[in-house]
Amino acid sequence: MPGSGTGTGNVPMAVKSTLDIVRQRFKEDEIVHYIFEAYQIQGQEYLDRLLALVSSESGGTYAIIAFSYLRTPLTTANELIINKVFALNESFQLRQDGKGSITTMQFDLSTAEDRPIKYYYYPLKSQEYEEFVAKVISCKNSMYKCDPEAVLNFSWLNDYRQIGEVKQELKKREAEYIVYKDIIIYCATWNVNNKPCCDSNSPLRSWLACSEKSPDIYAIGIQELDTPTKAMLNSTQMQATVEQWTQKMVESLYPGVEYEVLRSVRLVGIMLIVIVRKQLRQHILRCQLNSVARGVLNTLGNKGGVAISLQLHEGNICFVNSHLAAHMGYVDERNKDYNAIVEGMRFDDRRTISDHDHIFWLGDLNYRIQEPPGQQRPGPLTDAQTYELLLQYDQLGQEMRKGRCFDGYTEGEIKFRPTYKYDPGTDNYDSSEKQRAPAYCDRVLWKGTRIEQLAYDSIMEIRQSDHKPVYAIFRAKIKKRDEIKYKKVQEEVLKAVDKRENDNQPQITVETVSIDFGRVRFNEPSMQDFNVYNNCPLPVDFRFKEKDMHDICEKYLQVDPRQDSLMIDSARSIRIKLLVDVRTVGNLLKKIRTSDNFDILILHVENGRDIFITVTGDYQPSCFGLSMETMCRTNRPLSEYTQEQIKHLMRDESPEYQVTMPREFFLLIDYLHRQGSNLEGCFNAHDSRYSLGGHFNAVRDWLDTWSNEEFPGNVQTAAQALMLLLELPEQSLLEPFVEDLLASSSKSKAMDYIALLSAPKRNVFMHLCMFLREGILCQYYDLQQVALIFGRILLRGSSSSSRMDYNSRCIQFMRFFIDSDISDSALGNGHASGSGNIQAKSSTSATFSSSQSR
Amino acid sequence: MAKKTYDLLFKLLLIGDSGVGKTCILFRFSDDAFTSTFISTIGIDFKIKTVELRGKKIKLQIWDTAGQERFHTITTSYYRGAMGIMLVYDITNEKSFENIVKWLRNIDEHANEDVEKMILGNKCDMTDKRVVSKERGEAIAREHGIRFMETSAKSNINIERAFCELAEAILDKTSGRESAENPERVVIDRRNNDKAPGYNKCCA
Repeated sequence: MPGSGTGTGNVPMAVKSTLDIVRQRFKEDEIVHYIFEAYQIQGQEYLDRLLALVSSESGGTYAIIAFSYLRTPLTTANELIINKVFALNESFQLRQDGKGSITTMQFDLSTAEDRPIKYYYYPLKSQEYEEFVAKVISCKNSMYKCDPEAVLNFSWLNDYRQIGEVKQELKKREAEYIVYKDIIIYCATWNVNNKPCCDSNSPLRSWLACSEKSPDIYAIGIQELDTPTKAMLNSTQMQATVEQWTQKMVESLYPGVEYEVLRSVRLVGIMLIVIVRKQLRQHILRCQLNSVARGVLNTLGNKGGVAISLQLHEGNICFVNSHLAAHMGYVDERNKDYNAIVEGMRFDDRRTISDHDHIFWLGDLNYRIQEPPGQQRPGPLTDAQTYELLLQYDQLGQEMRKGRCFDGYTEGEIKFRPTYKYDPGTDNYDSSEKQRAPAYCDRVLWKGTRIEQLAYDSIMEIRQSDHKPVYAIFRAKIKKRDEIKYKKVQEEVLKAVDKRENDNQPQITVETVSIDFGRVRFNEPSMQDFNVYNNCPLPVDFRFKEKDMHDICEKYLQVDPRQDSLMIDSARSIRIKLLVDVRTVGNLLKKIRTSDNFDILILHVENGRDIFITVTGDYQPSCFGLSMETMCRTNRPLSEYTQEQIKHLMRDESPEYQVTMPREFFLLIDYLHRQGSNLEGCFNAHDSRYSLGGHFNAVRDWLDTWSNEEFPGNVQTAAQALMLLLELPEQSLLEPFVEDLLASSSKSKAMDYIALLSAPKRNVFMHLCMFLREGILCQYYDLQQVALIFGRILLRGSSSSSRMDYNSRCIQFMRFFIDSDISDSALGNGHASGSGNIQAKSSTSATFSSSQSR
Repeated sequence: MAKKTYDLLFKLLLIGDSGVGKTCILFRFSDDAFTSTFISTIGIDFKIKTVELRGKKIKLQIWDTAGQERFHTITTSYYRGAMGIMLVYDITNEKSFENIVKWLRNIDEHANEDVEKMILGNKCDMTDKRVVSKERGEAIAREHGIRFMETSAKSNINIERAFCELAEAILDKTSGRESAENPERVVIDRRNNDKAPGYNKCCA
């Protein structure tokens, strides 16, 4: 096979030829007849294309399928990507037109469904090109020669096509469900010369009921409807005229059939009425009308055209009735009128006259018979010979042959006398002074497919006008759906379109949907990376989605990037950073208490799915952030607890505790207490609490292991750690009585609430105050300053924290407990609380001794 | 003309315990296929399927949710906007049936008030492993006034029917509101038969 082995001369036998590979791309009953290497030019790029001429045995039809390659040379059929499919159907064209182009080695392929696609080929392939073209032409001819009427089945190509939209797909597969239905169309036209309808005693049946078979559709056009100036202004009178005519026509239709007026349209004296067989009415899916006025000033409408457009089953039919410019010499004006009607007629759906399958144009077209002056008629002629002679000089025929009007229209053979101009009431041509030459003014033409004219004649015995009425009967094969077949095709199309949409959904794959940080420690950052890939055939945008109006992730996590685009076949690494520090430990502990993961991120693919990415880790519990109650439930250093165990302790709400006060708190107070005068100024640096020094993690470990070693930090770090222990838990130490305590005016009143605190909180509070009071007494630090710092820590979370007097109230409260002057005077009021104080003191001492003995 | 190829778009949601077959039900409906390998849905997936009901093309956008417990708080945020919800349980799994009540509560809390609901007892082909009788399924549906059907994605029982019935119920609800949505067929108005349309236009 030529074209197949090209360039493979040196390749060992084992390597498959291109043709073999292409064959694998098709089904068993599909035959690859020829392959041809071509290319396309897009911008600066040359894109290789392989054109395969293929036929299907079951379909009996041929097609050209254009492939692009994933790589050359080809090794498997999977490397062939279908680029375009051309069915060798009626509309298929292979056109070579290299005029004005950079190379003559080019050709266009096109079908009615698609724009032409330009292909080029290399000079070396000229010989093969000739063969390719010859094959294509002979294949196409072979299909259409045997039976030009046959409906060719190209449905096998559906497996290779890209699926378009539903409508487009249904249109493409029309051949699978369209059948043709014969419709008899009766067109009639009459210039009534302003004669009232009631003048005629004889019914119009001789004009409107001439067909052998009953017509399905009537299109009746009238010109010069009785329109006296008065009537033009008086719509009721006009309407009465129209109704009379309509009535008259309906009475005169083919007898024994029920008809219904579908619609009528009128422009001054030009009227068109479409009447359909009643049973057909339900199959008319669309009906629109419009008119184009011509005549005086090209706007008055005494001349012009009216039209009705309708869809019967799947066929679009248009009827036009026009009255064009009069008088022998006005051929150009008639042509202009015709063109103006064609140009100007637009229906509501923007359809033009030519956008119809079947067009019937009737009316008083006014073209005359222009015999050369001095023309002598040869001897006696038969009627037929006379008509033939006259028609030689018929302006319409002449203009049509010159291509000046009615391009593409057909008219049946005229075998009747000129229909104009008669003395009304007679069959005699104009005997008036004007002696108008007889003419074939009244005509019926058609344009479109599957139309056959059955009759074309005029009626001599209707005599009230100076024109004779004309009628033409047609049989048109209208496209109609076979509903069962259509349902099936539609179902398949919907399925295919849905499938395309589902398959083309943007997709990304993620390396993992669970990110495990492993061991996580307080104040130690860590990170994890994972990849996302785009392995779908289109670029994809992704972003992490916000959850319930909050951020995309918990505070202790950071995601980078938060959104991005991925080109086809590309990957992106996403980094998740985790830091549980003084700012975020509360969030993490809360999460651990209520959930078994650190977070779930929502990775959203634009126009696609959402992927949940679960972030987990194993948090090594630390004292920072834990509540006093939780710490009092521990019976060993926190470093010996697992996340799961601490979760249980955090959820525990029983009032049973292992110790009266957290050991970690006691250890810090104990250390600080022993520093004596070194404590000077240690509680003043309020803002630096959150910036932890390099030693801090050693202090953390010292506390979390109940270490017997020397305290690894200094006074500053110990003071900092103490304040963090009090500040980091979710609840402030004096909850749930913060508001009450801020409002307490005396120590005794405050003491009533303190007594209600949980034992760990109460003990911590009393012990802290005792420690601070001592320091103040020793003047290690300033009362006012310490009262403010600790007041704000212990009374945080108050709704009044933004009030002007919040600070002073914090100070006032703290002074009840740490200012020895005040507390002494206040004690007089509250003896009972005082004893509580002593009790707490004694109990904490007990704890200290036990811990110290370790 | 608008480009859309459907008359109406309904958003549906599949919820239920992990492993009851939500993804298989969707896969059967959209692709007419079934695989027995269980791949847990980790997130929210959706598929499109266009059906024709009462002469209208209805595009169903069906969201398949992760059933695993840890995702529940997240998946509930997808309930809003759903016009129909399929609650799926597994007739061979007692727990998944008991949890239907929980799922119903979730719907009450998070979904639109007028959402159409339907309970599906899936895997009805596995008769020898059945632990939840059809009567119990019907009873709970009756109790809550919702539709019920037993289905099998594997044997393709009632899958199409279930979705169409749910869609039809939504259609019933919406049909009152969408008189403006007109298919392409034009109702021919013959009241103004005798006017000369286009006349004014030509004079203008």
